[in-house]
Amino acid sequence: MFQNRAEAFALVLPAAIFAAVVFLAPVLILLSEGFGSGDSWTIQAYIDFFSQSLNQTVFLRTLKLAALVTAASAVIGYAAAFAIVNLPPKGKGRITGLVVLPLMISPVARTYAWLVILGRTGFVNKALVAVGLSDEPIRFLFTETAVFIGLLQLFLPLMIISLISALENMPRDAVPAARVLGANWLQVFTKVILPLTKEGLVIGGTLVFTGSMTAYITPAILGGSKVLMLETLLYQRVTVANDFVSASVIALILIVMAFAANLLLKRLATARNKR
Amino acid sequence: MPMKKLLMASAALLLSVSAAKAQEKTLTISVYGFAQDEFKKILYDPFEEKCGCELVVETGNSVERLAKIEANKADPVIDLAVISMRDALAAAKDGLTDKVDTSKLSNFDKLYDIAKDPNGDGMSIGYTFYASSIAYRSDKMTVESWADLLAEDVVDHVALPNVTTTQGPLTLYMLGKALGDEDPSLKTPIAAVGEKKDEIVTFYVRSSQLVQLMQQEEIWAAPIGRFAWSGFSKMDLPIKWATPKEGQSGGMNVMVLTKGSKNRDLALEFMDLWLSTEIQTALAENLVDSPANKDVKVSDEIAENLTYGADTVANLHLIPSQVAIDNQETWLSEWNNKVGQ
Repeated sequence: MFQNRAEAFALVLPAAIFAAVVFLAPVLILLSEGFGSGDSWTIQAYIDFFSQSLNQTVFLRTLKLAALVTAASAVIGYAAAFAIVNLPPKGKGRITGLVVLPLMISPVARTYAWLVILGRTGFVNKALVAVGLSDEPIRFLFTETAVFIGLLQLFLPLMIISLISALENMPRDAVPAARVLGANWLQVFTKVILPLTKEGLVIGGTLVFTGSMTAYITPAILGGSKVLMLETLLYQRVTVANDFVSASVIALILIVMAFAANLLLKRLATARNKR
Repeated sequence: MPMKKLLMASAALLLSVSAAKAQEKTLTISVYGFAQDEFKKILYDPFEEKCGCELVVETGNSVERLAKIEANKADPVIDLAVISMRDALAAAKDGLTDKVDTSKLSNFDKLYDIAKDPNGDGMSIGYTFYASSIAYRSDKMTVESWADLLAEDVVDHVALPNVTTTQGPLTLYMLGKALGDEDPSLKTPIAAVGEKKDEIVTFYVRSSQLVQLMQQEEIWAAPIGRFAWSGFSKMDLPIKWATPKEGQSGGMNVMVLTKGSKNRDLALEFMDLWLSTEIQTALAENLVDSPANKDVKVSDEIAENLTYGADTVANLHLIPSQVAIDNQETWLSEWNNKVGQ
């Protein structure tokens, strides 16, 4: 597209400088706090962090919830995206709009709605008692279940959108062809749809996983300090203890986990492809 | 030589601007972020008018604000800060504050004794306090002791403050009294809470969250500071303020002067105005702060929503600042082990 590399370089330079000064440099300064005070580099802060059982619990819980939300959103997302892609154009636009709509509402408002819905006098409990599934209201709030539901609702649209665009790029005849050749729906999914849409799954999965791991508002409101996650722990360390070293340690852990999740998902996708 | 003239003219202009700046007095204060509209009307505007100076107000939570004072230690920006009694002692120990020259405060003698020198080091003056007790649904339960919070039939409708909040240690301290162990390590009450941690609804960080939980009947009781009471009393539910037999706890907020700050006289003038009967009465009537000035008189209806009166003040079980500072790490690690996970 460009005559020479210099032109392209010149075009990208302002953005690169901006990003380096206002994003990269502050992040590096912050992260460097976790490695000692400048005289000598050390990973002592990381050892200290992981040696405390509360931090281990919080780390594993964050990993577990993010993984569960990602898996659940993939399952629900494929079903929804497949249905949406096969709608007539007009309906497809409308439904996609509805899927995107929650993204335009503040996460605070959405999460507060869950606080009401999941409460002991909320809609879910009233329904459970009315149907006879439970004798008395169940406590959902401030449990991992509440955080899971909140995060799933928050990030499911990202998965659905990624999968819709992946499914749309799939050859139209692929599924009917597989069916004509005698494949059942499970085979169609694992041998045809999944390999052809893995890119979308990787993108959606990374967005959902990273989002779930780094979300603050949802775990703070629906989990509180009974269900601490890395992000709420980070906030607590800074605002309560003014402890920027632990905060920096947690920040780097979150960044590393996000990259690791992306790599892992890519690896899974290619492994399936080779088979 | 036009160039030389131009240079001289701009130099003269610069000089006159900085001279004008020097004449203009500025007082910088650091305060909690709440009720700033009321403070502006009742305290800040009248002060600016009186002193003919500019008042710069910085707000934020106490951790942020203290961190900023620490960072600007060499060249202080803040002249006067408003913090908790415990933070005041910590700041004094870190060499961030100066002694308050009370001879320059005409309203000093009007203060309750407990507010005159809360930490006994002459470095702070109390301007307001609050009681801490339990707000509870009187149709669902009774509260005669702090230990009633952990009673089997109600504990799954109770929210407790997290140990990291101001209310946290106060609640544990009173719970310890009720359980017959007043050791400052708070081990016994923390262990008692730890045993019931799965039943307790949540360990709250912000008292504002409790109003909704109470409204939704998610909780029936929670320990709160009196400053948060008005949100509960307005609800259309039978909610009462408990008077447990162990008494009520509480806290005090104080004013401190930053070490080496340049506008000392102005800061003392501001402090004096804030402690005056007139301003303290206005703040009380608007339910902003309970008065530390014993000359303040308010109606029964206002008093109901405040920590008001010599008897109330005398019966508050405050945690001494030194005890709080010495034990904070123990409390946190003990809590994290028994309750936090």
